[in-house]
Amino acid sequence: MASATPKASVSGTAFEPLSTAFAQNPYPAYAALREKGEPQFFPDFGMWLVTRFDDVAGIARDNSMVRSPEFFMSHEEIEAEKRAQNWHDMPHHSRFVQFSMLDSDGEVHDRLRKQVFREFTPAFIARQRGMIQSFVDKLVDGLIDKGEIDFVEDLAAQVPGHIIGRVLGVPDEDCPQLRVWSENVVKFFDIDRNDERKATAEKATTEFYHYLQKLMAERRAAPQDDLITRLIAAQDAGHLNEDELVSTCMLILMAGHGSTIDVLGSGMHALLRFPDQMERLRQDPGLIHTTIQEMFRFESPLPFFHRYSTADCVVGGKAFPRGTKFGLLYGAANRDPTAFGDDAGSFDVGRNPNRHLAFGGGAHFCLGNHLARLDMEVIFTTLIKRLKSISLDEAEPQYKPGLSVRGPKALRLTLAPA
Amino acid sequence: MYRVTFVDADGQARELTANEGQSVMSVAVANGIDQILAECGGSCACGTCHCYVDETWTERLPAPDDSEQGMIECLMSPTERSRLSCQLKMTAALDGLVVHLPREQY
Ligand code: HEM
Ligand code: FES
Repeated sequence: MASATPKASVSGTAFEPLSTAFAQNPYPAYAALREKGEPQFFPDFGMWLVTRFDDVAGIARDNSMVRSPEFFMSHEEIEAEKRAQNWHDMPHHSRFVQFSMLDSDGEVHDRLRKQVFREFTPAFIARQRGMIQSFVDKLVDGLIDKGEIDFVEDLAAQVPGHIIGRVLGVPDEDCPQLRVWSENVVKFFDIDRNDERKATAEKATTEFYHYLQKLMAERRAAPQDDLITRLIAAQDAGHLNEDELVSTCMLILMAGHGSTIDVLGSGMHALLRFPDQMERLRQDPGLIHTTIQEMFRFESPLPFFHRYSTADCVVGGKAFPRGTKFGLLYGAANRDPTAFGDDAGSFDVGRNPNRHLAFGGGAHFCLGNHLARLDMEVIFTTLIKRLKSISLDEAEPQYKPGLSVRGPKALRLTLAPA
Repeated sequence: MYRVTFVDADGQARELTANEGQSVMSVAVANGIDQILAECGGSCACGTCHCYVDETWTERLPAPDDSEQGMIECLMSPTERSRLSCQLKMTAALDGLVVHLPREQY
């Protein structure tokens, strides 16, 4: 059963998240939704869209709002829901992807998160800086020689997967394959699901699983200083089982892969669209942290997540029963003028404070945020230092369609070395 | 209403008021104390609400629980006085609390 193409009219506002117009600029549609005040029903997904900053932040941080429906649905109801969403008959996908830290709550979530949390804290992540810098330096050497590049494919896409792979303990030469698997699994999450993507996602999950099984066996035989070795030790200590281990590795490899590529692309595009901001950063490289923070806010790369209410609740002044599904539009909340002022729509590399929701909030707050920020910091700092000018070779780069991701498909640039 | 004072890395102090049960983090955020980022919103999941409790107060606070302690050990520059301000809830016993802010959270 393939799902129909979603095309919803939300109480009179054309909200067509698969249209080209939305891909190129979703912000007018987001603003229209925000202005409605109350959450708006999106029939294709049976959920209420929440777009105002306070409402989105409130739900994300509320422990009575969960990601997994098991708190209020029976096993049979969940299976029926999976069928309705075309999530069923995918044995590996349901074992390792549909189940994960991200899609569990309460005690299970806390236990799984605890096993990996330490590895992604600022102090641990900072140890990767030298490795990331030398990796990026080598890439940039090659690109400067080339002169004309696709920033997305030639640079952005080359970095995050390798870095996460190294943290986890995946050999460099296997990283390109992991990227293909990740993309094939992740594509199935968007709203335009179909049977072909379903088969591809299941196949990718299966291959990914077999790969990780082999890698785990290698690490068991010869432990290394990497996350996968430490997770195996945690498994031996009884903190998590093998399925949970595999699922956690897949989540870590997938969650921050496409998203970092996308925000590198949209962040570069923002600097090129607003040359005064690029110049400001060049004049004061110390602004790199606020610049990156603003890139996440301005073009949030993962703009859409969901929660279920486990109790009756009031959102945006409207009452909802237990079991209501909410769609949190982080990308819309991050442009809300009530939170960011009248210039919420402008790109300001010095914006501070900048308490955006691009990494979510609450118990599921992005585990990998420091790693993503460090990748970005190294890349943008290196480019600004080593290039005299960067220019955009196309009038209007095309952005990926859909509600779940945001980033340019390609970004053609000409580089002039300093 | 209780009082809580935030001292920034340059020694500038600000005294603010707090309600019963309100977290020190939420007092900071509500009053624009920008050094408290509190990215996870108080779920003990981000470590960006780090503060140093003034020496005169360390003995008087309830000890951190396991998840707070685990988080503190992973911070950039933890000391024995490090606490997560989202886990410190104001009560009569904490009236007058003084906390110091790090220059940066990460
Ligand atoms: C551009 C970069 C990234 C963005 C925008 C991003 C965004 C997010 C968001 C919004 C969530 C919360 C989902 C929700 O509210 O339901 C999340 C969770 C998560 N992210 Fe990221 N992420 C990024 C990079 C990374 C990286 C590099 C990793 C690698 C380790 C990662 C790992 C995770 C994990 C494991 C979770 C689930 C945490 C949990 O459920 O406790 N992310 N991310
Ligand atoms: S606000 Fe995130 S740990 Fe305190």
